[in-house]
Amino acid sequence: MLAYSIRRFWQSLLVLIIVTMCAFLLVRLAPGNPARLILPDEATEEQVRLMEIKLGLDKPLPVQYWNYIMDLLRGDLGTSIVYKQPASRIIFARVPNTVLLALSTIFVGCMLAIPLGVIAGTHRGSPVDLFSMLFALLGQSMSTMWLGVLLIWVFAVRLRMLPAMGTGGWEYLVLPVLSMAYPMSATTTRIARSGMVDTLSEDYVVALYAKGVSRMEMYSKYALRNAMIPVSTMLGLNLGIFLAGSVVTETIFGWAGMGQLMNQSVLTRDYPMVQSLLLISAIMFTVINLIVDIINSFIDPRLSIN
Amino acid sequence: MDTKTTISRMLHSYFFVIGLICLIFIIISCYILPYWIPWEPLENSLLDKSLPPEFFRNGLSGHILGTDTLGRDVLIRLLIGGQYSFRLAFISVVLQAILGTVLGMLSGYFGGQVDSIIMRACDAIMAMPSLVLAIAIMAIFGPSTQNLIFVLTVSGWVQLCKIIRNNVRVVKQQEFVLASGILGASGFHIMFKQIFPNVTTNIIIITSQRMGFVILMEASLSFLNLGIPVPAPSWGNMIAAGRQYLVTQPWLIMAPGIALMLAVLAFNFLGDGIRDVLDTKRKV
Repeated sequence: MLAYSIRRFWQSLLVLIIVTMCAFLLVRLAPGNPARLILPDEATEEQVRLMEIKLGLDKPLPVQYWNYIMDLLRGDLGTSIVYKQPASRIIFARVPNTVLLALSTIFVGCMLAIPLGVIAGTHRGSPVDLFSMLFALLGQSMSTMWLGVLLIWVFAVRLRMLPAMGTGGWEYLVLPVLSMAYPMSATTTRIARSGMVDTLSEDYVVALYAKGVSRMEMYSKYALRNAMIPVSTMLGLNLGIFLAGSVVTETIFGWAGMGQLMNQSVLTRDYPMVQSLLLISAIMFTVINLIVDIINSFIDPRLSIN
Repeated sequence: MDTKTTISRMLHSYFFVIGLICLIFIIISCYILPYWIPWEPLENSLLDKSLPPEFFRNGLSGHILGTDTLGRDVLIRLLIGGQYSFRLAFISVVLQAILGTVLGMLSGYFGGQVDSIIMRACDAIMAMPSLVLAIAIMAIFGPSTQNLIFVLTVSGWVQLCKIIRNNVRVVKQQEFVLASGILGASGFHIMFKQIFPNVTTNIIIITSQRMGFVILMEASLSFLNLGIPVPAPSWGNMIAAGRQYLVTQPWLIMAPGIALMLAVLAFNFLGDGIRDVLDTKRKV
């Protein structure tokens, strides 16, 4: 397991190096001169050239990439064109809001999906199973965007129970969390259900029943543990996506997180910011997947042999 | 599996039948109904602005689903927007399938250096959440149809590529492939004539499940004004525009929202149905 963890670590590091190359090239390949974007429109050729030298744009591409990596290692993500401040400072100010939204969503999603999926899996063909299937199918077709707007219409416009937009206490959190948690829990329910069904059809389950293990003990002690592996992988993927900032949800609900910052930076053509956000989301995503894989290899040591 | 078994399995899969019927209904509406509707998607008339839905009170010549704040008919925009979405999603899914299959087969067949390069590329793309990557690319290269097809394709081929690669690695070891090699068949022949027919089932299963996802992603991008450029209609930008008039004109979000949900539901049903039909290990 330790060897597996170390191998996965190096693999993730390699992936992140490739991601930095992508993020670097993306901005370099963009049409238009980055120096001109920073300067006001009436800047002279001379000023543009000075800015290019200041930004290191006159050097060959590999040297620029090397400087970019060195800056990254020092924690310098570049300077925002709009805010005229280090991009890292502006992004990290947004992190707590995004983390709060992501963790609440995962929590609510699990509370809905795991009991429903497990009961559906242990009671196949029952009304609960049918309900879980309809719940999941509807949820997978509901986009966060449409659900979000619909929730605002019902709860903020018609019933006037909750605020439509803004960042603040729990009442601001309810609608965005619901709009993200439902589509997520739809997939999770299906995975938990099929995990339960697959595990309960294994030969060792029959052997354990023959040995006299009770149904409750079978579910809680043996089946659940195996069924949770695909679920935790799925949750890890979702957490990674949510931590990257849910651009659509945060934009709809005016939640001041990284996703909203992404949308604003896109609208204002703040390329260094877009680049940094892409990079940070990739780092978070990779780190969380690495952690989930290592946790899974401890739950089920068979996974570490590949 | 012969044709008769396949058809019988299709008719016995509820998912397949319901999905197919819904989809045929939606596609016929989008492509044929516009001929009977007397409005144009970009034709605005300030006299008729913000009319609530009339449904069929005036037959097909009225504003069945109402008009938006510029007096454009909602139904015709919905149908034309659907046409754009389906066309874009179809092109992207086909490109994803081609890219994923070719790279997956090369990776699985040659192994070694080719395999590690392709697999690391897959890992790098998978490390970036697909919507964030799509937004970054669209933001930097600007909204246009070609760029939209590019971003919808770029993150979608990875899953197929990995599955095909593993599939090819298994098939490659089987006796008939080894025999073909010993008899002097070229690598090209082995790849496309011997191995390819054994991976087509997986290609169809994975590809059919991507349509719904790509339509949702296109709608999200259009919602953020990074998709189909306005004023051309798309379900995403119709929801984005309607969102500002939620209090007084809720029909502006209901129509595209429900259309989006039904279309994705139909594709998901069909995808699940196709998996049930083709996956011989599963019971329908």
